[in-house]
Amino acid sequence: MSEKRKHVIPGDVVTTGPYRADQNTVLDGRLIISTTVGVSEIADGAVRVIPLTGMYMPRIDDMVVGKVTTHTSLAWELDINSCYVGFLPATDVFGRDFSARSDELNTRLKRGDLVAARIANSDRSRDPLLTIVDRDLGKIDSGELIEISSSKIPRLIGKRGTMIQMIESQTDSMITVGQNGWVVASSEDSNGLIKAKKAIRMVERMAHMHNLTDKVRKMLEAEK
Amino acid sequence: MTVFTTMDELKRNRIMDLLQEGKRIDGRALDEYRSITIDTGVVPKANGSARVRLGDSEVICGIKIQPDRPFSDVGEKGIFICTAELLPLSHPTVETGPPNESVIELARVVDRGIRESHMIDLTQLVIKKDESVVGVFADNVVLDYDGNLFDACSYAATSAILTAQMPRWEYGDNGPELQEGLEPLPTTTLPVSVTMAKIGSHIIADPNSDEWDCMDARITITTNSEGNICALQKGGKGGFTVDELATCGEIAINSSNKIRDILQAVVPK
Repeated sequence: MSEKRKHVIPGDVVTTGPYRADQNTVLDGRLIISTTVGVSEIADGAVRVIPLTGMYMPRIDDMVVGKVTTHTSLAWELDINSCYVGFLPATDVFGRDFSARSDELNTRLKRGDLVAARIANSDRSRDPLLTIVDRDLGKIDSGELIEISSSKIPRLIGKRGTMIQMIESQTDSMITVGQNGWVVASSEDSNGLIKAKKAIRMVERMAHMHNLTDKVRKMLEAEK
Repeated sequence: MTVFTTMDELKRNRIMDLLQEGKRIDGRALDEYRSITIDTGVVPKANGSARVRLGDSEVICGIKIQPDRPFSDVGEKGIFICTAELLPLSHPTVETGPPNESVIELARVVDRGIRESHMIDLTQLVIKKDESVVGVFADNVVLDYDGNLFDACSYAATSAILTAQMPRWEYGDNGPELQEGLEPLPTTTLPVSVTMAKIGSHIIADPNSDEWDCMDARITITTNSEGNICALQKGGKGGFTVDELATCGEIAINSSNKIRDILQAVVPK
């Protein structure tokens, strides 16, 4: 591992240089200290630590996969694999003429349904607001939910989407990746689904390794 | 359990579809158990202990043996009490605090299986009749939850009992006095608990957490070494037909033979 990237634990001094303390670090005098277990990275004058594990922290514009757990008369509550509950307002689904009196939320989304959504608004003091008004968002009708750590998602997507595209093409499957670590894979071919699941699990297990795309490709080709 | 999860509909449908084809979501046969690994002596300060992994469910049981006052109506028998607890570590939705109904049920079902099989010969645990007896306390702690804690806790408790070393006491002027030496607990049989779930019209053994979340009913049957049923507990909203109960009985007896061999293997030769 290069000088720039190293494994750190909470309390470790990542660097003392003139850098900005970014994600998962704090500035203490001149010291930039890690607040989590992860790999530190110095880029563009900023220091950040990519966590090795942990819950998902919502960020605006993230695409997430949520599971409906309950609803009020105005909104659904979604489990988004986070310490926060996602709120999906009924107007998002029913449109602007939604009426809490006449529209029954259960008819559109019920407990246990999976939804691809985007985080419309979020700050630490309130539960994040979700939206499904966009292309490719909404209720997920088929496939299987695979839960991995949200910190491994960038690895699963790969540089410019190389990893996920490779898995999709090699296994003939459609994969919806939520930034919250929930991934839905679907395929016409049940064998393809099993292979896609295996590949996703492999990425989760070996996220710290170099040349992972090649390793996964080799594994999938050997499975053929 | 105290584990509250919302089952996603896609997974529920997949479990149901696979069962129609006679398959399970993790690829097991309908009456197949997950792998069982048992380590004993994991808590050095306990009189006996065991860690059991049943698939991804993990339980540690510790045995404490100490002199106690007998219950007033059974002065000629020792005491056996089994408890269970879920650590917050075991699942994201488990919280600390007093146990709820389902955890109390867990402890009672495990306790009943061991008690009603008469695994421990309690009549040999009397120090002085009506005055002082030996108490055996089996405390189960769940470290990781992946369904079917009834069996995981039961195997942990029985393996810990099988390998426990009991101190000896004699009744003296000041009550029970500790003597030199240790001996194994007096056991007569080896109970094996087998839990089955009913999903639709299918009966499956050892449900994992996904199957646990979508089952209609469950039944736990404990058999002793002779293959006789000595304890039974049914749970869930659904019911079993007479034929289904007979099937459950057969699965319980067949599975228990294999599991009993695994449990027996923990006893030092």
